[in-house]
Amino acid sequence: MVPILLILVLTLGAVGLFLALPAGPTRTDRVGWLVLAGAGAVLLGSLLQLTPGPAPGWFAGLALIAVFSAVRVITHRRPVYSALYFVLLILTVTALLVLMEAPFLSVALVIVYAGAILVTYVFVIMLARQARPTSYDTRARDPFWGCLAGFLLLLLLSGQLNLFQAGPPRLPAVADSAPAGTVEQIAVPLFTDYLLAVQLIGLLLLAALAGAIAIARRQPTGIGENRGEA
Amino acid sequence: MLLPCVLLGATLFILGLIGFVTRRNLIIMFLCTELMFQGIILNVVAFGRQPLGGRPALDGQVFALFLIAVAAAEAAVALALVVLLYRHRDTLDAQAYRLLKDE
Repeated sequence: MVPILLILVLTLGAVGLFLALPAGPTRTDRVGWLVLAGAGAVLLGSLLQLTPGPAPGWFAGLALIAVFSAVRVITHRRPVYSALYFVLLILTVTALLVLMEAPFLSVALVIVYAGAILVTYVFVIMLARQARPTSYDTRARDPFWGCLAGFLLLLLLSGQLNLFQAGPPRLPAVADSAPAGTVEQIAVPLFTDYLLAVQLIGLLLLAALAGAIAIARRQPTGIGENRGEA
Repeated sequence: MLLPCVLLGATLFILGLIGFVTRRNLIIMFLCTELMFQGIILNVVAFGRQPLGGRPALDGQVFALFLIAVAAAEAAVALALVVLLYRHRDTLDAQAYRLLKDE
């Protein structure tokens, strides 16, 4: 991607994101979505040219859906819809992992994220639901500075990556014999080289489980009169 | 395939960062950390496919599995904290918890 085009896409994206973030009673999100759609169209065109490999159309479409749902997660005014768009993002990332020959990882991602973590999020959202949209959902905090910081960071990162691509050290292509991440293939390093890490992760999950129960069961102590009743 | 994947991962990470900085709902903020995890997982798997010296290995996917496990642990503890805070003050506004002391 030529740098001018990159700067154009990033600028459009940052401006559109700034307009689309919830900003109180003034509804600028429709304008923001128009700008974001322009950025997405330019991005799709350049991705189709940039991506080599067997399935450029698949990658470009999935990347566009992923970015769209990620933007929707951070701009939607109602938390339940944010969580649902996050499920869409998970499914897109899953498809991308299948494109990158990681079938077991993609199945694990769907089970753990869409099946467990997101259900927990939806439960907590339901538990803490307010009757009408609250002020902290409809007004973002310093959207300008947040978008500017993200824009600069992404500009730096992608600029460096472009230099990396144009420079002499070309990366070797993915070998044809690269192992696909099936259960059988991924179990071998998991239970030989990384056995200790697997045990430690189990311990971490157990500690998180015990900690979550201990935290959520505690009564709020600031009130005072609740102590005697319990 | 490496470069577009890394760019996409960086984009997802930075969108999560922007959401974490600008949104005020505690639940959305933790959802944004999960968004950042997605970017990292894509990056790790994409880099793991590049056989830089030696034979190609599956270390990237193993790291991504560990990342998923850590994300699950983080989500459990974070949501327990959110429930506790909500019972404490009846709001999810991050601005309401600026002072980390009892009233």
